[in-house]
Amino acid sequence: MKSISLYEEKASFVHDVDPITKLWYIPFAILIPIILPSFTISFLFIGLSLVLLLGAKVIRKTIPVFGFVFLILITVVLIQGMFKPENETVLFQIGPLTMYKEGLLFALTITLRVINIICAFMILVLTTKPSDLVEALVRKGMSPRIGYVIVSVFQIIPEMMATMSTITDAQRARGMETEGKLLVRIKAFIPLLGPVVLGSLINTKERAMALEVRGFNSQAPKTYLYEEKTYQFSKVLQIGMLLLTMAAVSWRIFL
Amino acid sequence: MIKIANLSFSYNKETRVLSGINLEFDRRSTAIIGQNGAGKTTLVKLMKGLLKADEGKILIHEHDVSGKTAAQLARTIGLVFQNPNDQIFKRTVLDEVMFGPLNIKMDKQTAKEKAIEALKMVELDDKLEMNPHDLSLSEKKLLCIASVVAMDTDIIIFDEPTIAQDHGGKEKIRQIIQALKDKNKLVMTIIHDMDFVAENFERTIVFNDGQVLLDGETRDVFSQKELLKTACVEAPGITKLAERLGFKDTVLTVDEFINMKKTYSPPQ
Ligand SMILES: Nc1ncnc2c1ncn2[C@@H]1O[C@H](COP(=O)(O)OP(=O)(O)OP(=O)(O)O)[C@@H](O)[C@H]1O
Ligand SMILES: [Mg+2]
Repeated sequence: MKSISLYEEKASFVHDVDPITKLWYIPFAILIPIILPSFTISFLFIGLSLVLLLGAKVIRKTIPVFGFVFLILITVVLIQGMFKPENETVLFQIGPLTMYKEGLLFALTITLRVINIICAFMILVLTTKPSDLVEALVRKGMSPRIGYVIVSVFQIIPEMMATMSTITDAQRARGMETEGKLLVRIKAFIPLLGPVVLGSLINTKERAMALEVRGFNSQAPKTYLYEEKTYQFSKVLQIGMLLLTMAAVSWRIFL
Repeated sequence: MIKIANLSFSYNKETRVLSGINLEFDRRSTAIIGQNGAGKTTLVKLMKGLLKADEGKILIHEHDVSGKTAAQLARTIGLVFQNPNDQIFKRTVLDEVMFGPLNIKMDKQTAKEKAIEALKMVELDDKLEMNPHDLSLSEKKLLCIASVVAMDTDIIIFDEPTIAQDHGGKEKIRQIIQALKDKNKLVMTIIHDMDFVAENFERTIVFNDGQVLLDGETRDVFSQKELLKTACVEAPGITKLAERLGFKDTVLTVDEFINMKKTYSPPQ
């Protein structure tokens, strides 16, 4: 079955880092450029994230994501560059279009922020198995029920897709046209919805029973299937990030 | 009726599921046997147009399968899925069985008649309004059989029809297969129940590791003890008993055994 998680199994020092530290990295990398709003800092963090993504050998997987994001950012640059109310200084003209400095600088800030946020999230998402992250959170005290719900979300969509193709096969096998023109496809799709939803409800009921008979609701403390992923420098990194954030705050306040 | 030439297929690049299959089917009823994972289900899905071959050709009634959609093929070839839960998706037993006939442009009246007739054969005609998901596994399997039989196709393939069936259920399936043979249809069955094979099918094809290992009259196939072993299948108990007792001919059924026994004198 296909997985919807973007996680890529590789051996790298980024993969070795425990999920919680990578989770910490996200607010760290997002907050500091906000606390210290300079282009240098933003570039620094984007650079750092990109180096980590490169080191994790997952940079290729980021390309489609960035492709999509750039498409949106280009419209931001164009609109801000031309129409931002504060626009005064003309930078250049292409035909009838005039680009202003103020708008472009503002667009650049937004662009850097967005890229920075996406990079930080991507490090976590691409190098951490969702179940590892959830298990680490449960170890930290999150309720196993919530953990289970999160993990289920990662399973239910591919499961629904599999159910859909199963039912499509059942329909085609008995003479219902599902291939070809768009109209035919749509016509075939609508009667799918009922069985797919019904099917997942039945699955849910059966899964609840399966969980129940295997003691999911037991009050005893749970043990874990996987060994806890530990990383020797996780404390150092976490404390380091915290200190740097505090340093950034005091820099901002006192200097 | 069906001609398969040099057929190969794989689900993913790493492993080939079927390679270089050449087969021809006439109207003889045919059993397809072989160990789990040998590629039997994959082969029939290819014939049905649910999967597309990587290489090779399948001709049904001289028409190339690759040029038709599965829905078009459904008029000529019916398939009862291995797992009934994969096949059932309507909300009542009657709707489920009428779905196929209505799709191949039977009018509502005829479709209903055919559906009820098929449901009578599997003795589910008293449960027309029930939700199929509330049926037992064996009943679901029978329902799937009925919903394909109702389409009255020229070729009909069963993928393990006897799973979960008690003696009565098997007897119903036997009668259905016989009725279809009497109507001169090509009946093909994937099956692990060797007694059922020996008693009901003229021809047997043994699959092993994505290839045809043996193909011939059922009697001849079951006499090839060594080859059967490589495919992890066994001749029926009665066949093995007769062989151990030193009978010259391959025995397929208990009746045959008894008849032979009358004329047989044990070696001294
Ligand atoms: N959808 C699929 N994707 C990938 N591999 C598959 C898929 N379906 C089947 N396979 C693999 O293809 C091989 C042949 O499967 P197939 O279902 O055709 O075997 P079979 O002979 O019908 O076995 P059984 O007697 O267990 O029904 C198996 O190794 C199986 O794991
Ligand atoms: Mg199978």
